[in-house]
Amino acid sequence: MIWKLSLTGIKNRFKDYTVLFSGLVVASMIFYMFLTIAINPAFIKNDIQTSTSYVQFTFGFGIVLLVIISMIYLVYANSFLLSMRKHDYGMYMMLGAKSSKIGLLIFLETLITGILATSAGIILGFGLTTVVAKLLIDKLGLTVTHFSPILLNAVLWTLIFFTLMFLFGALKNARKLVHTPVINLLKDEQKPAETSLKTGLRSVEAIAGLVLLAIGYYTLSLPAAMILIIIPVALVTIVAGSYFTFNSFFSALIGFLLKRKDFSYRGIRVFTLGQLKFRIHDYTKILTIISLLFALALGAITVGLNFSTLKDQATASTYYDTTIVSSSSAVQEAKRQLHIKHEQTYHYKENKKYLYFKRAEFSANPVKNNEFYVKNDTPAYKTINLKIADLAKQGTTANNALNSMLPANHHKPIRLVSQQKWASLKGDKQFVTLLTVKNFQQDYPILLKIEKQQLEESKNYANVYQSSKAGAYQLVMNFSSGFEFMGFFLGFAFLTMLASTLMFKILTGAASDKIRYQMLFEMGTRMSVLRNSIKNEIGILFLLPGILGVVDVLFGLQMFRVFLPAPYHNLWIPFTIFIILYILYYLITVKLYEKIVLKSDSVLNKGE
Amino acid sequence: MTEILRVEQVTKTYGKRGEKQYQALKGINFTVNSGEYVAIMGASGSGKTTLLNILSTLDKPTSGHVFINHEDNSTLNANQLADFRSKQIGFIFQDFNLLENLTNRENIALPLSLQGISTKRIDPLIDRIAGRLGIEQILAKYPAEVSGGQKQRVAAARALVHEPAILLADEPTGALDSKSARELLDTMEDLNQNDGITTLMVTHDPFAASFASRILFIKDGKIGKQMLKNELSRQEFYHLLIDHLDTDE
Repeated sequence: MIWKLSLTGIKNRFKDYTVLFSGLVVASMIFYMFLTIAINPAFIKNDIQTSTSYVQFTFGFGIVLLVIISMIYLVYANSFLLSMRKHDYGMYMMLGAKSSKIGLLIFLETLITGILATSAGIILGFGLTTVVAKLLIDKLGLTVTHFSPILLNAVLWTLIFFTLMFLFGALKNARKLVHTPVINLLKDEQKPAETSLKTGLRSVEAIAGLVLLAIGYYTLSLPAAMILIIIPVALVTIVAGSYFTFNSFFSALIGFLLKRKDFSYRGIRVFTLGQLKFRIHDYTKILTIISLLFALALGAITVGLNFSTLKDQATASTYYDTTIVSSSSAVQEAKRQLHIKHEQTYHYKENKKYLYFKRAEFSANPVKNNEFYVKNDTPAYKTINLKIADLAKQGTTANNALNSMLPANHHKPIRLVSQQKWASLKGDKQFVTLLTVKNFQQDYPILLKIEKQQLEESKNYANVYQSSKAGAYQLVMNFSSGFEFMGFFLGFAFLTMLASTLMFKILTGAASDKIRYQMLFEMGTRMSVLRNSIKNEIGILFLLPGILGVVDVLFGLQMFRVFLPAPYHNLWIPFTIFIILYILYYLITVKLYEKIVLKSDSVLNKGE
Repeated sequence: MTEILRVEQVTKTYGKRGEKQYQALKGINFTVNSGEYVAIMGASGSGKTTLLNILSTLDKPTSGHVFINHEDNSTLNANQLADFRSKQIGFIFQDFNLLENLTNRENIALPLSLQGISTKRIDPLIDRIAGRLGIEQILAKYPAEVSGGQKQRVAAARALVHEPAILLADEPTGALDSKSARELLDTMEDLNQNDGITTLMVTHDPFAASFASRILFIKDGKIGKQMLKNELSRQEFYHLLIDHLDTDE
């Protein structure tokens, strides 16, 4: 009988259960998605070819953060489940059900809900991982070979972690239910508002929060070699600092605004502030998580995008798009397919001792070279003409540059001679053609084909291939694709989790808000005023963690100086993309929330 | 005496046309004059709540008109209705309807700030009504920190602070213990007699109703009899009322 009642209880609160269940599904899905990358040795080894220990540490950091985030999330979900069922179970106990039986019921209910949600999350994780991976690989033109959406290790660890978490949750719920007096189970909603911290204690907390954040940010800027210190210290200080800051600083700010009556006594501002004051206190943990998720998502996307700029740098460091030394029909045929912008050919004769070039050809078409320099902390290149006089002087930049364009077997001292002298010299006639094309990305496959064909024809071409633009581009692409993929993939994963966390928390509070909005409406508040209040309130709940998240990212990017020459380069692009997504998501939440608290079957909408 | 409220041929039918319909109000007519204290009495299901919702503009009648201060509610759009409620009507509900996330002072401030009263004038107005209702000491507290009787006083202060044309009270003593209920009813009577606040109270409780100067009985969606207190004392009026209810059963 009790079992039947329990099931009916679930049916009656189906909507709440859907919110809970989908939240749990998303949490386990993201956890799984992260693990498919973080504990995939083949992917890390092959697609991210870089100092492995550093990457493993970064992932270790990610896993610890995700575990903390998931734990707090699950604690929330659990207490939500308990609060949802408390009244029902309290009633059964009042009617004479044994508390041990009720304890068992809530234990099983928590555990079964958890395991079902986790399994569903993993299965959905397969699908989502496949879709996201495919989309990213296609859209970004990445070369990722060792990524698989189904990873047994990840499945196992996700299951183990979530089952353990739910086991603890179930025990906690059962204990709480059995030990709480029935009267409190039935009347829990009417408990008084928590009294807020004393001002003195709060200022201590606020200062502690800011100091912890400052320590965390400073740690992030330490040299990468100190990674063993950076990660644990930053983790503890930033998490705790964010928590203290939200708990004290912002609630103090709201308290201050509430006291400024010329500000708060306008429209229903006093209500909006009251809601926020209520919330900030209640939401401290969630806002901390959101700020971290925001930072992780934005950071991942920023770093991912920054890796793609490495490709641009690979192309920027070399002036000519290709060097042609072969007259074979295969190479010449491929050359005809290129969209050539500029072409210059230098002829030379090779004897046992020297390479003889025509000086006039250099005077007519100087060889250009891109020189590296740093401008405002970002790497830049400027194009210069190589000095003709230097071309023949060994050890000069010009001489080295010219040598790198010639096959290895031709590395002999260079001599520049007049046209007449050249005609009279004996030796093998050779040439080197330097090309620029209209659009490198577009012609890249043909350029690469030309380079490979020449390499196939002569091993001596290897040194030219190494410094060729197409070759460098391919190399950087292999290296950065893994990171770029990872950045976007994780960015997407964290953003989804952020979405579900904040929405979950806001929507769970909507039921009690509904009554408040109804009261305000009855008192004669216009619908438009109510809507504005909702927009402001949710807006601030989005804005606060957003600000802290942005600050986190700005400091956190320092960690990536190891592989990225300029982690802050073109920062506005990922920030704009991310902020647009965040705003969209804010608008969706506002709409959903309005639907719940302003729509009602009672009299609320009949006036419109 | 000026007329504050006029209800003309108000009916309310639930259910769509062609389906099974239920008529909650069947042609209600009455008026309330300025400074009057009227109680509407009826058992549950008699149509009390429906009538109160219509009077407070939260619901619209199927037919008929409600005039408050000579203004016909049915001609107003949603925004005008909201403004109308915020200016002309003060509410007291059975379950207080205080916003628990605001202090008592902030709760009372809401109707004033909604109307855009200058922020400097708000606190003095709150202090005045709080003094009148004896709640100065609890203004900084949250509703959850005060007793039921005090909550209802805060609700009364919120209902009256903006000097509405009429105070609508829906079972205001329903959630109070008998001592607090008595205190609140005394206060409402005092406000009516000394401050001239026009009051319309809906209740099923004869004791509460006996504080009014006139009682309208609603039964099966119609106003039946009415009783006038005239020169009777409250106790005498109460006994008369009990006798009436006994014979009416």
